[in-house]
Formats: sequence, C-alpha cells, structure tokens
Amino acid sequence: MNVSIVPTLKVLKPAARIVLVALVGIAAGYFANAAFFPGTSPEQPIAFSHRIHAGDNEIPCLYCHVQARRSISAGVPSLSKCMGCHAEVAADRPQVRLLASYWENKEPIAWIKVHDLPDFVHFTHKRHVAAGIECQTCHGPVETMEVVSREAPVKMGLCLNCHRENEVQHGTDCWTCHK
Amino acid sequence: MSRVDRREFLKLIGAGSVGTGAGFMLAESIKHPVEYLIPYPVPPEEFSPGIATWYNSVCGMCSAGCGISVRTREGRAKKIEGNPSHPVNQGRLCALGQAGLQVLYNPDRLTAPMLQNGDRGSDEFVEITWDDGLSRAAERLNAARERGGGIYFLSQGVRGHLANLFELFMGELTGEPGSARLLHYDFTHPHALYAANKRLFGETHLPYYDIGNSRYLLSFGADYLTDWLSPVHHSLGFGQSRQGNAGVRGRCVQIEPRMSLSGAAADEWIPARPGTEGYLALSIAHRLVAEGTYRGGDLDAWRAALADYAPERVAEPTGVPEETIARLAREFARAEPGLAIGGGSAAAHTNGVDTLIAVNVLNYLAGNIGKPGGIVFNPDPVTGGSSVDRQANYRAMQSLVENARQGNIDVLIVNNTNPVFTLPAASGFRDALASIPTIVSLSSFMDETTILADVMLPSHTFLESWGDDMPEPGVGFSVGAISQPVVAPLYKTRATGDIVLGLAGKLGFAESLPWASMEDFLKAGWRQIYARGAGESTDFDAFWRDVIVAGVWGENLRRNDNKVIDTSVIEGIGMPAPRFAGDNDTYPFILHPYLTTALHDGRSANLPWMQELPDPMTGIVYGSWVEINPVTASEMGFEDGDVVTVTSAQGSIEAPVLTFPAIMPGVVAMPIGQGHHALGRYARNRGTNPIEILAPETEPASGSLATSATRVALAATGRRAAPVKTGGESRQLGRGIVQSTGGHSGSAGHSARLNSIPIVVEST
Amino acid sequence: MSIREQVVDSWREYRKDGYYDEFDYAWTMTIDLDRCTGCGACVTACQAENNIPIVGKEELELGREMQWIRIERYWEGEYPNAKLKFIPMLCQHCDAAPCETVCPVTATYHNQDGLNVQVYNRCIGTRSCAVYCPYTVRYFNFKEHHWDAPLEQQLNPDVTVREKGVMEKCTFCVQRIRQAKDHAKDDGRRRVRDGEVQPACVQTCPSEALVFGDRKDPESRVSKSMNDARAYRVLGELNTKPSVVYLKKVDADAD
Repeated sequence: MNVSIVPTLKVLKPAARIVLVALVGIAAGYFANAAFFPGTSPEQPIAFSHRIHAGDNEIPCLYCHVQARRSISAGVPSLSKCMGCHAEVAADRPQVRLLASYWENKEPIAWIKVHDLPDFVHFTHKRHVAAGIECQTCHGPVETMEVVSREAPVKMGLCLNCHRENEVQHGTDCWTCHK
Repeated sequence: MSRVDRREFLKLIGAGSVGTGAGFMLAESIKHPVEYLIPYPVPPEEFSPGIATWYNSVCGMCSAGCGISVRTREGRAKKIEGNPSHPVNQGRLCALGQAGLQVLYNPDRLTAPMLQNGDRGSDEFVEITWDDGLSRAAERLNAARERGGGIYFLSQGVRGHLANLFELFMGELTGEPGSARLLHYDFTHPHALYAANKRLFGETHLPYYDIGNSRYLLSFGADYLTDWLSPVHHSLGFGQSRQGNAGVRGRCVQIEPRMSLSGAAADEWIPARPGTEGYLALSIAHRLVAEGTYRGGDLDAWRAALADYAPERVAEPTGVPEETIARLAREFARAEPGLAIGGGSAAAHTNGVDTLIAVNVLNYLAGNIGKPGGIVFNPDPVTGGSSVDRQANYRAMQSLVENARQGNIDVLIVNNTNPVFTLPAASGFRDALASIPTIVSLSSFMDETTILADVMLPSHTFLESWGDDMPEPGVGFSVGAISQPVVAPLYKTRATGDIVLGLAGKLGFAESLPWASMEDFLKAGWRQIYARGAGESTDFDAFWRDVIVAGVWGENLRRNDNKVIDTSVIEGIGMPAPRFAGDNDTYPFILHPYLTTALHDGRSANLPWMQELPDPMTGIVYGSWVEINPVTASEMGFEDGDVVTVTSAQGSIEAPVLTFPAIMPGVVAMPIGQGHHALGRYARNRGTNPIEILAPETEPASGSLATSATRVALAATGRRAAPVKTGGESRQLGRGIVQSTGGHSGSAGHSARLNSIPIVVEST
Repeated sequence: MSIREQVVDSWREYRKDGYYDEFDYAWTMTIDLDRCTGCGACVTACQAENNIPIVGKEELELGREMQWIRIERYWEGEYPNAKLKFIPMLCQHCDAAPCETVCPVTATYHNQDGLNVQVYNRCIGTRSCAVYCPYTVRYFNFKEHHWDAPLEQQLNPDVTVREKGVMEKCTFCVQRIRQAKDHAKDDGRRRVRDGEVQPACVQTCPSEALVFGDRKDPESRVSKSMNDARAYRVLGELNTKPSVVYLKKVDADAD
C-alpha cells in the first residue's frame, strides 16, 4: 500500500502556523508579565530607599531590623521606630510626609514581602546572624538598591552549598530546615 | 509562503492573543503569592515577631478552674497548656481544655449585638450597635422595675469577682440584696454532693479529695477521670497513686452499673444495681464497725444505724455477692489511707444524697478525715461569699418555669447557660420562655436558649476577658487565679462583666457600681486580697503584676480539722429505696445518661476537635448511640448499628445500638452532648439528646434532677445507621499489644508533686 | 555489586546493633500503661500543636482519620468480668523502620537524632510507607483540608500545613526539639537539658503517663523509665527497634 505523509502535512500546515503564533504569544505573555509585573521588586506603599539609609547613611541593617538577632524573623521596624528619626530628619520630603500621615492615623503600613520562603521551610535569622553571616549573602547588595528586589536565588541550592562549605553541623539533614 | 487571507489573519491574531494571555497567566500562576509584612505602629512591650509570648490565665471550659498558659504568636493564640504553677492542674490539661482555642476561633460565634427580627426561633436577626443594644435592654429592665415586675438573671456557674458583680447588679436592680432572682445554672453542678457534705459534716463547701496519697480508692459512680469535680487534678492523683508513691501501688475500685472511663482505669469494676450504691457503702460501713476498724465514739448508735445493712442482706438488692462486699470492707479497712468518693450516676437517683452520705460515712469510720490521702476540708473562698449557694437545682428551675407561666417574669437575662438543651422537655422550660416578654442573652454562641432571645449582647470568650477564679473544691487551701485577655477581641463582643457594668450605667447605677470596666472592678477586689498579705510584693501594682504573671495566688490556710458526727445525724443515716419513673413492664430498662470529657453537658459539641475526638470507651465520633449489654441485645435481636427508639413516659428519641461489654443487663446507657438544634455547624443535627426524655424525678434532699431515675423501652425501627467508629479490631487476638504484668507493688517511679506556687502568703 | 546487593548491604549496615551510637541524641518516649487512663488529652494536644486537619464525618466514615497519636482500646473478657485496656499509639520512630526502606524518593529516613523524618515537600504520595508500617501510624492526606475561618488563625506557624497527596505522621514535635536546641545554643550549652523538650502529648498528659527525653543520657528521666522492669516494645518480635517504650499495665489480681 502506498501511504504518503504529504497530504496530512498539507492539512496541518495552516494549523502549524497558528500553533507557532500561539507559542510565540505564550512566550511573549510570560516574559511581559515577568518584565512589567516583577514579583521580586514590588511597588511598596512608601518608596523607601535602602540605598539612602543603608548605603549613603551607613545605618547598620540590625539598627532597624533589630529582631534579626533574636528571632526567626528579622521583622520590619515599627512606625514608631521610623518616626524616631523622621520626626526631625527630612520631615519635609513627600515620602516622609506620607510616612508621617500613617503615623498620625496610627495606621500600620502593609509592606509587601520581597524575600519570602515557602511555608515548609524553617529559617531562623537569629542563628545566621549569630554565625556572622552577612545579610547580603542571601539578600544581595541591598544597600545599593533604590527598590529592593530579590537578586540572590534564595532556593535550596543556596542554603545547601553554604551549609556544606561551612560544614554546618547536620546542615544537610532535611529536618534542619524543613518543618 | 502562502498568502494570509482575512480569515487566516483573524485566526492568527486570535491564537496570538490567547497565547499571550495564557503565557501571562502562566507566569502569574507560578509567582509566589503576595505576602505582607505589617509592623505595629507602636509595638506592645512584650511583642516580637517570630517569638511566642505566653500569657497565664484560667480555663473556662468546665468548672474545675485549671490554670492555663496560652502561647501566642503575632497576636494570635496558638496553643493552650496547663500553668505549671497552678496547684489544681500543675501544668496538665484535659482534651476539653486544649480545645478552648476552638471556642475563641469558632466560626459560629456571635460577632455583634443583635435584635430578634421575627418570631422567636425564626433565626432572623438584625445587627445593632452596643449603645442601642444596651439601651433597649435597659429600657425593658426599667419598665419592668417601674411595673414592679419580675427580673431574673440566669447565668452559667461563675465564681470569683464576676459572681460578686452579678450580686451587686441584681441587688441594685431588684432592690433586694441577695435576691433569689439571681440563679446560676449548670447541668453538672453536684447538688447532691453539697447537700451530703452539709448534712454529715456541716460544711458548705466541698472538701478536697486527696486521691494522690490514697492507697485504696473506692469510687461509687464518680467518674473522677472524666467529669467529677476536677478531672485533671484527679488524673494527676491517679497517676501518683498508681506509680508515684514509692513502694506502694494504690488500688482503685469502681462501683457503677455501666463502666465509665474511671471504671476502665480501675483495678476492679463492680456492677451494682442502679440506685443501690448506698446500700453497698453502708454494708461496708457495717463491716468496719463490726470488725472494730472504727475506734471512735457513738459505737452503739452506729451499730443501730447500720444493723440492717449486713452484707448478707445487701447482696440481694445490690446484685453484688456477699463475699465481695466483705472483701471490699477488709481491703478498705486495711488500706492506710483509703478514700471513698461518690458521684455520677450513684448521686443521680432519688436517694442520691443518702448514697453520698453513706459514702462519706466510710471515710469517717475509717478515720480518713483531715488526713493526707483522705478528705481535707477547704477554707472559705477569699472573695467573701460564694456563688455556690446561687446554683439553681431542678426545683429552683421549676419555680422559675412556674413564675414565667404565671406571667411574673418580665425580663430574663441569660448568660452562657443553655437550659433549653440541658433541662428535660418535661420541665416545660422551653415553652415557659414564651410567657416571658423579654429575654436578653449574653451568650457567645447561638445556642438553643439564645436563639429564643430578643436582645443578644454577646460576650467575649474566656480568652478575651478579664476575670478570676477561686477553684472549688480546689486543693485544700485557698487558691485564686486571674484570667486575663490573651488576644485582642476578635469581634464586636464585650466581656460579660463589661456588659453588666454597661447595663448598670444605662440604668443609672453609677453610684453603687462605679467601676468603668471589669478590669477596674477586678483590681478593686484584688486590693482586698492584697490587704490579706502580699508576700514579697512592695505595693499593690507590683502585687497585681506578679499575680498576673504567675497566673495564680495561694494562701496557706490549711485546715486539718477532724469532725465528730452528731448522734442525731448518725441516727438519720439509712438508705431509702430508689424510685424510678415508669413501670417495669412497659419500660424494662433503666436509662443511664452519662457525661463525656469531650462534649461535657453539650456546650462543646460545636468544637470540631471535640467532635473528632474518639469517645474513649467506644471510639465513636460525631454521633449518639445506645449502649446495651451484648446478651440482652442478642435476646432482643438487636445488632450494632440497628436504629432503635428509646421511649420513656416523657418522650421518645432514636439512636443506633452499640453492644457494650461492660453494662448491666437491665440498664441502657447514652452519652450526653449531642442532639443540638442550634449552636452552629459542627453541633447542629447530630445524634440525640437523652436529657430530652428524662422524667422530672427529683432527689428530695437536694432538689436536684435525678437523671438516672428514668425507665425506658427500646423498639426496633428497622433502619440501620452505624455510628462512625475509629480504630480497628476491639480485641487483641493474641497480639500482645497491651501487655500486663503480675500484681507486685509499684515501682519507685516519678511522683506528681505540687509545684511551688510563686506567690503564697501566710495569712495574717 | 548489583543494585540489589548494595541495597541489602546498606540495610544490614543500619540494622546492625550500635549503628546509632554515634548519633547526637536518641529521642525516646516511654508510656506507662499503668498510669494511662485513656482520656484523650494527648490526642487533642497533638492536633492543636501540629496543625492536624479536621477531616469531617464523611472522611472518617471512609476510615481516613488523622491522629498522629491515637488511643487504641482493647476489650478483654465478657460481662461482668469485662476489662478495657488503653494504649496510646504514635509513630514509634523505629531504629529499623520498615517505612524508611520502601520510600522511592527517600522522603522518609532516619536522622542523626534518632528521629524518623518525614519530608513533606519531598513526598510524592505513593503510600508505600503506610503499607509497610506495622503500627499503622502514618496518615495520608486524601484531600485538601480546609479550616472554616477564623479557625485557621490557630494554626501553628512552626509546623507546615500539609497538602493533598502527602503522607504525614508524628514528628516527636520536632519544632519543639529544634527550639530547645536553639535555646541551648543561645546559652552556650552543647546539649539540651533533660526535660527541656516535651512534645505536646507529654506536656499535657494529666496522669503523667508519658515521659520524653534522650536515652543517651543515662541520668535522664526517660533512661530511668525505660529501664523499668515493666518495659516492653509493642510488636517487639518484628525487630523494628522502636524508640517508644511501653511500661506494662499492672494487673493487681494476676498471680
């Protein structure tokens, strides 16, 4: 029997073109989302600049993120902490005025989390700060960032490599980090 | 390349756009969900994100009054544990106490004041403001006062300063301090036990039963590990008595018609005919006197009082062999010390008080009064009066019903008690409510009583309120614990004390109730306790803080007094025969309703953890059942899961049969707690409520409802609905999973010890 | 060496006596059946601590209960000599655990603390481990569980909320062990003190039937307790070497 694939291809040709266009569309849509709506550097309620605070003014990270040395969570400073300086410092700038309006209304600021680990991961800032790990190791050069974005790939590989290099006791046991 | 025609072009455009959209959504879907970091504007002093804060408080799930420590994270309560410093529970907690969190976070809580917007029971409500709610309630109360009409306040049993606040409020409202229109009502309140202690020892408060140091525990129906008085404390005592006292292993004997959890834990379970437990106790007493164990006075009076109760006479009515009675008497006499307790079904007959007197006689004759391992009398509560006298027995509830029917009640205030569910239908309580023009409910949940209310002023849960508790029976010395809010209120509810103070404000009682909040009232009360002796605290503020941080306060006012029973009282000792409602032929079985840890008197049926906690004796979850002796069941042709009607002269309910290996043939048992028509999604329309069909038979000396005095008949319905049962095979089949060893004495294990209370003052 | 031989060799190695002697801790629980009253406080304490879902009546009818610790009840004899005996049953953290050898993705294994580990994000839900467990203490998430709001506010942030298709079981409250180790490090101690870690069930037990600790410390309460003459292991003949030791119930009227 004489069977040829050519008729089938002929029929499929227009469909192939459509599929190709659709695939290109998917790729475009995917990257457009990533480019224009980056989850890793979201727009915050106040345009807080780490560059000005931690970079130019060299305020130590732990001055504001004071919980990092005693809790699993580094914490974000309370409004009262911000206002401790900003009642006086740069009080006329628009973003600081925005801050002051939150303070007057005693309204908490809903900061969007940039570095967020899955719920099945146990990570404690306390132990890592105590071990002398630089904040930048996982958070990237935050002191240079106008808007914080997630630069270091905070994935399991980063944790494991560091635990291996530093020969952390039981650093590769699953239950050290997974809960 | 072929030309693209219009049709083709549109197709391509369509494919491209759909593709782009799909790609965009794909990227969106694998993105991490947005999470927020929301810091406090001004953080509380003790708060750190990621670090748990523990607050000490008091458990409000039953009336034992255990101390709790609540773990909170980021302002939310996560776990309740026992407060290790509290002498009642010493860090331990029962399943019900653990489930307190599901009261706080229950999805069916009342969240704001409401007004009944249709007919009562129509379940139509409109939300109102607190000001409006309090005003409306105050308006009706004022109108009633002007008319000289009746105002009743019906609360769940509360102790401590909240009880005092109720007294002040009702005194002012009715113009008569100590008004009889203030009632506390708990289904589980041991009226008969109070009456028996009063009659025999002249005590108005319950004594402390020192199970931990006893060598021989003889329990007449008291399920001390499940619901009797203070189950967690008794469990500690049980553990200590079993394996905590070096060299000696305590023996536990349980006498009851249906094996309870305490019966299963006991070394020996003795079924005695319902209502005859007192005969057995007097028979043992007879032996104690006859064999010279009793060395006190009034020997002749005792001999005379106990003459009719020789074991050979009692064996027949109780169904317990003569030799067993003699052996029990021998063992009890030899144990130093032994302890006899009574309660549960033994106290729930028409001769309940006499039974409990008979049980206490054993302690008296064996010389167990005022001794470790025996009965230790408690000092009076430090808050002054005691709300125990306020507890309404069945008789008091009936007179409430009668007053309502006659139109003597204008306003009824109900606080977190649910008599519509916990009183038998025969009491007429539900129908009598129709004759009360205004019902105000302060309850946290839409229970069967609250659903009939006109104005709902929902209260906080115990985890959101200020309060205090002086546990009774406690531990033989004065203990007080402050209950503090452990989380910010979830809803627009208010603490019970604040609602009462709010009403007082609206009614113009500012002079006699001048406190701005329950917290202020509580502080004022604790100033008086502070005046009794403050320990190491330098001023009241420091004392207040210390007590809150420690969660408990104690005062060493131990009484080691012995008692001498009057000859006249001895002469009155004796056992009347129990009466049962319904004749033997029509109603061949005696109904034995019993309490469980999980559902208590039904109040915790709305907690999913409690619904899913397998019943300890049967493994059943989510439902009701009727326990029948396996032989009886096979004689009647019933199999497990056959739905039967349980009929008393008062009514009829349905439940599936469960053959239970440890119940007397003439008795059928049903757990209390299910059968709700309200109380939220987890409770509603599950199982049946055996209280409904109980006969209004009362215990004459205490006026309490004789809940075990109803006869019933069983009849097949032809339907099957097996209850949901967890666990597998009910026999070991030689697998040796639970192993046991011979009866040598206990090992020198660790012993339950009373942790030191941080603040104990010697009274001045 | 064939794969089969390799596997068998590795099994032999870790089933040898003394294999675990090099490990840091050997967390152990003893359960005194003479103290246990069967009250169920441990069950609810565990549910509160470990985010164990409310499965609902329909699932329970299918036998899909979720209780990392449960009370088993066994009747003996007939009326009037019937007896009911209770035994709390939880993951035995066997040193020679049958479940560990059958997991195709090593989502369950033995760690250096003597714990039988379950890694949720690694589990693919084959349920082999549950089949091999002689104690039937592994529980599978047959569906996505749901908490009616605001019940979810009670969830413990230190414990993962498990998804559908994942096996779960008792962890000896690893989050509490982890925290105790953390505190020990803060204090500059090398080891956790005896009594510093108490799983939720042990903490709440009203009759003090449960004792938890490190059996490598000969002075610990659990070491003393497990050397009691009444000690035995459930289904000990299977040689699974459980880390949960039961103390026999005393039958006062026997012999």
